[in-house]
Amino acid sequence: MIFSARNTVLFAVAVAGLAVMIDTEPSAQQPGSVRGRVSIGIPITAKRGTSTYSRSVPTVALAPESEVRHVVVYVKDAPRTAAPPMRAEIRQRNENFVPRIVAVTVGSTVDFPNDDPIYHNVFSLSRTKTFDLGRFPQGRSRGERFDKPGVVKVFCQIHSHMSATVMVFDHPWFAIPDEGGMFELSGVPPGMHQVTAFHERLGDTTQQIRVEGGRAASVDFVLPVPAQP
Amino acid sequence: MRTPPRLLARTLTVTFATVAVILTIAFIVITLDVRDRVRAAETDKLRVSESVFTALEAKRQQDQMAAMATLAENPTLKAALDTYFTERRFSGSSDEQLRATVTGEASKLAAQTPADVLAVIEADGRIFTSAGPSASQWVSGETVDIPRGAPATFQSVAVLPTGAFRVTGARLTFGERVIGTLVAGTSLDANYAQELSNLSTAGVIITVNTSVVARTVPESVARDLVASKLTAGTATLGDEEYAIRTILASGPARIYTLTSIDAAARNATRDALVAVGLIALGSFILAAIGSFILARLVSEPINRVSSEIATMTGAREFGRTLALTGSSRELDALTVAFNDLMRGLSAAEAETRSAYIGAIRALAAALDARDPYTAGHSERVSTLSVMMGRMMNLDSKGLDVLRLGALLHDIGKIGVADEILRKNGPLTAEEYEQIKRHPALGARILRQVPFLAPHLPIVELHHERPDGRGYPFGLRADAIPLDARIVHVADAFDAMTSARAYRAALPVSVAFAELERFSGTQFDPACVEALLAAMPSSHDIEEPALAQLLARQMV
Repeated sequence: MIFSARNTVLFAVAVAGLAVMIDTEPSAQQPGSVRGRVSIGIPITAKRGTSTYSRSVPTVALAPESEVRHVVVYVKDAPRTAAPPMRAEIRQRNENFVPRIVAVTVGSTVDFPNDDPIYHNVFSLSRTKTFDLGRFPQGRSRGERFDKPGVVKVFCQIHSHMSATVMVFDHPWFAIPDEGGMFELSGVPPGMHQVTAFHERLGDTTQQIRVEGGRAASVDFVLPVPAQP
Repeated sequence: MRTPPRLLARTLTVTFATVAVILTIAFIVITLDVRDRVRAAETDKLRVSESVFTALEAKRQQDQMAAMATLAENPTLKAALDTYFTERRFSGSSDEQLRATVTGEASKLAAQTPADVLAVIEADGRIFTSAGPSASQWVSGETVDIPRGAPATFQSVAVLPTGAFRVTGARLTFGERVIGTLVAGTSLDANYAQELSNLSTAGVIITVNTSVVARTVPESVARDLVASKLTAGTATLGDEEYAIRTILASGPARIYTLTSIDAAARNATRDALVAVGLIALGSFILAAIGSFILARLVSEPINRVSSEIATMTGAREFGRTLALTGSSRELDALTVAFNDLMRGLSAAEAETRSAYIGAIRALAAALDARDPYTAGHSERVSTLSVMMGRMMNLDSKGLDVLRLGALLHDIGKIGVADEILRKNGPLTAEEYEQIKRHPALGARILRQVPFLAPHLPIVELHHERPDGRGYPFGLRADAIPLDARIVHVADAFDAMTSARAYRAALPVSVAFAELERFSGTQFDPACVEALLAAMPSSHDIEEPALAQLLARQMV
């Protein structure tokens, strides 16, 4: 959804711009890319049968596949790099924010359309962006523009169990994996980089990788999920 | 010698003592029984009230958990807390304004709960912030041992270095994501113990790690409870037996409620014993009254009979028979026996009396017989006197006195020499003086016999005259007893109508005339009249023997 055809075009423009920038640097090289797969691992607190007689080891419930869509992979130590603003949306549906997490570039606007036949509210207490869109009914949408990089937690004042995360980056090297957990960060400047996979609940994992010009570096993330109650 | 006790007292004592012994035994048995029953009942009651309290307390805790679950939905608190952690994770720096926001919300929530402290605990068990009166004991950053993971609400005990708290917690979540825990803590201190004690109306002991942190019962009781390691049931703690129940056993903390069975039973037993005592007192009083009535029933007729006998004795009415009381067969038998005895005695006395009278009559006849002219004189005077007495309406007793007195009137002549008595010629003055001594002499003889005392005046005074010229004392009219006056007239009449050695018998009419002539001077007029009235047809009687015959018939 985020990487639509239109966005790919924007990306191409961005990569072109980046190439110009890199060209100006003394050690200018061709940009590389980072590819990999994010998977939700075996629960770290899973119980394992210890009894000799127990033949039935509890089967570990794996997290639903869609959980990988709540992960944002991004280059943590990326230099500030201009990227075109985007337009994203987080819908309010069935008393949930859908999707629960979006990643956008600085200057982007996120819309919050209300699909539920009840009032919803959207507010944030984050340093990055503090706002309160007030209450609005079904069919109405209100948007918020994010001009500072950082993480923004969004809540509904009416329904205290609803929460969503908006991650705002001042560079274009971030991605949300597809249903299979595959992701690709392209146009990454060559060199040593810290790449982070961030999950709102499961935590985050950072790996050090070397990106070489014109080549795709590979890195996989395994995020643990807590035991199901 | 000691006087024996009254029958009333004795009956009363025996009856009442018996009843009292029975009542006392019954009272003791009932008392022991009541004690056991009351104790069993009180123990049951305490068990029930303790279970009720335990159930209520469980409900209260559930309500608290429900309340906490509601409080844990505070959107601002959750949003601020989640934002705080997410930002810290993402950027490594934290926004203390968000912490203040959480603290502010926690303070507002703390004001809504009666808890001593309301704290927000991070997912790793550290205190994020706290509010409420005991907030100072919950220092940010310290780790608190509370249950992790499920369930969403829980109860436990948190032991901090500064004290133990009973906590009710609720998770702060966004869907499945747990961002922390909201806990309300109540300090396990004397106040809480007192509050629980008030709610349960029982004693409360709170222990943490088997040391007593709060109690509403004496120290020795708390010490014994800890030493006994009991969790429920009954046990003797201190000096009394207690019903014990554990209302909280969480981690190292225990809360016990305990009630003294002895104390509860004491009041109930006292009430029961007061009731039993009142019944016993009433029974004693009734027994006393009953005994008294019974005793009276027995002794009162006896008293009546005995007082009647005393009256009879006082009045010398030995002929009277006692009435039957009808109160009891025994007493009536006794009365009948007494009456029979009295009748027997009276008969014996009458016999004795008639024997006396016979002897006296014989004596009088013997005296009269000394002089042939005076033979039968005493019998005739007696007959005449009784006739006159009847005319003068004397009662039978008076007539008896008169009859015997007249028979004896000349008994003193026993001391007068025969020559004087039988002398044909006129008496010398000296001889006459001898004759005149006979009344005093007779009186002297009669004084020896108490039984003849009533007749004494007749014997002594039958020669006195109304004009005072009689002998031996020369008494006048009314000073002379009636008996003596009657016998005086009868004596004179018989003397005149009897022959003497020196003269023939005077006719009755002459004798009447003589009597009438000297009536008022020598003779008492009433007596003379009575004699005339008693013998209306005897004017023609010439023969003294005839009169004697007549008199005999009339006796």
